[in-house]
Amino acid sequence: MHSPVLVVNDLSVERSGRLAVEKVSFELPSESETAVVGPNGAGKSTLVAAILGLLPRSTGNVQILGQPLSDNGNLPGEIRSQIAYVPQSLALQGRFPLSVAEFVGFGFDPPGPRWPWRDRRERQSAIEQALDRTGCIDLRNRLLSELSGGQLKRVMLSFCVVRPRQLLVLDEAQAGLDVPSNERFQQLLLQLRRQEGWTVLHVSHDLDMVRRSSDQVLGLNRRLCCSGSPDHTLTPERLIDLYGPNVVPYRHQCHG
Amino acid sequence: MVDTQSLALVLAEPFMQRALVGGLLTGALGGLLGSVAVLRELSFFSDALGHSALLGITLGILIGVNPTLVLIPFAVVFAILVNQLVERSSLPTDALLNIVYSTSLAAAILFLSLVETYRGGIRQLLFGDILGVSTLDLIVIGLLLAAALIYLSLSMRAQVLLTLNQDLAGAVGVQTRWHRLAFIVLLAVVVAVSIKAVGVLLISAFVVIPACAGRLLCRRFLVYVCVSAALGGSCALLGLLASGVTNLPSGPSVVMVQFLGFLAAMILSSGIFRRRQRPVAESLTITSSD
Repeated sequence: MHSPVLVVNDLSVERSGRLAVEKVSFELPSESETAVVGPNGAGKSTLVAAILGLLPRSTGNVQILGQPLSDNGNLPGEIRSQIAYVPQSLALQGRFPLSVAEFVGFGFDPPGPRWPWRDRRERQSAIEQALDRTGCIDLRNRLLSELSGGQLKRVMLSFCVVRPRQLLVLDEAQAGLDVPSNERFQQLLLQLRRQEGWTVLHVSHDLDMVRRSSDQVLGLNRRLCCSGSPDHTLTPERLIDLYGPNVVPYRHQCHG
Repeated sequence: MVDTQSLALVLAEPFMQRALVGGLLTGALGGLLGSVAVLRELSFFSDALGHSALLGITLGILIGVNPTLVLIPFAVVFAILVNQLVERSSLPTDALLNIVYSTSLAAAILFLSLVETYRGGIRQLLFGDILGVSTLDLIVIGLLLAAALIYLSLSMRAQVLLTLNQDLAGAVGVQTRWHRLAFIVLLAVVVAVSIKAVGVLLISAFVVIPACAGRLLCRRFLVYVCVSAALGGSCALLGLLASGVTNLPSGPSVVMVQFLGFLAAMILSSGIFRRRQRPVAESLTITSSD
């Protein structure tokens, strides 16, 4: 049996003088997909940021691939290079002089200082392969700031797949996508997850997608309100507990 | 009309030769750091640093120490303090920087009015005196350019990812706080060193204009950084030559050449855009989930 890729134990995180996440514990089994759901302000992105070492923890500990996250959020380089992250958006205001291929190349580089010309051939080949696998090869010379929302998200997956990794974290990666772009992104993510053996942790508001794709669901509203399989967690009663009484949960007939 | 004889006479002067090398190096340094500063929306930060430098110079005069010696540590400490203020305050960055630079400028003018023995001209502080650049100044600017080139080359991935999304950078192992601070300190030192040649009022033009021109022209980050530095250096060189032969002030002449370069970049890039026009891109909203 595989050991868990991520172990979160008794994690609390303080933001602006109040506990945004309180005593959260869970594990991500290898090659599983786990969704974090909950209302706005529930601490979902804060939880993800603390797991990645981007925010300090008040209590608790985090282990990624068996390696504990240090108090100041550091991980050894070889563990850090096993993590990929897809944020909601990139700061691409105005014309940003960065090509798609260059951006994906930064996903190939390991952490730490590095001359731009190092491992040039190996790097170029990895970029081409990653863009090819995500259907973005025709975009390689385009500026990142010229891409549509759907194209940008697929390029971000190229950034993740350009080198082998084990843990993929997505923070509302589908935010702002229309229905066809969202569907295409989901299919690509599922395909790459199977090929790469990624363990996925994603924050999402799309409960229908969560029900279809996740093995485990964490219902978060500062504390962990519920966790388990989608069928066990995404019940009307639990969703009303999580989101409040004004939520009217329903299941899409085509997927239900 | 400028003739080649007067140009040759000007170029034969050692102070003019130092000025040309100084202008080339300062311009290249401004363009190099400006390429990252402009993308990271730090243009106004460099302006605030320039204005605060006047306070550093004034403090040096008040305590009787060579202002040039005071300026670099002052600019570094000032940049770190402003960075802390921006990170910890909930007020908008541009408003905070405006408060900081207006106050430091006002304090500098008040202190200068108290110093009766001060013989240096306020005009020289405001607009710089590139003709007064010494060999030691050239060595310092040259070393700084080499340090900036090495740092930016080694940390290019960190600089780009940090500009695009701080969380993305941190998640893939970039030491975000360290790199933010290192860049700001480097920018502060460059501003402090360039003040003597460029002046308080025009320093931000050296950081912003060549980088904006490069941003309009380039489609690859590495090329953009190199073009910004090259534009910075060449505009400074041309501006100084124009200043030398026309006997106009050097700093403003350089800025006018930079502006002409920017106009040329705008015209060229509008042509490039017409050829490469793509369907309108979806805009991504920047929202916070929590």
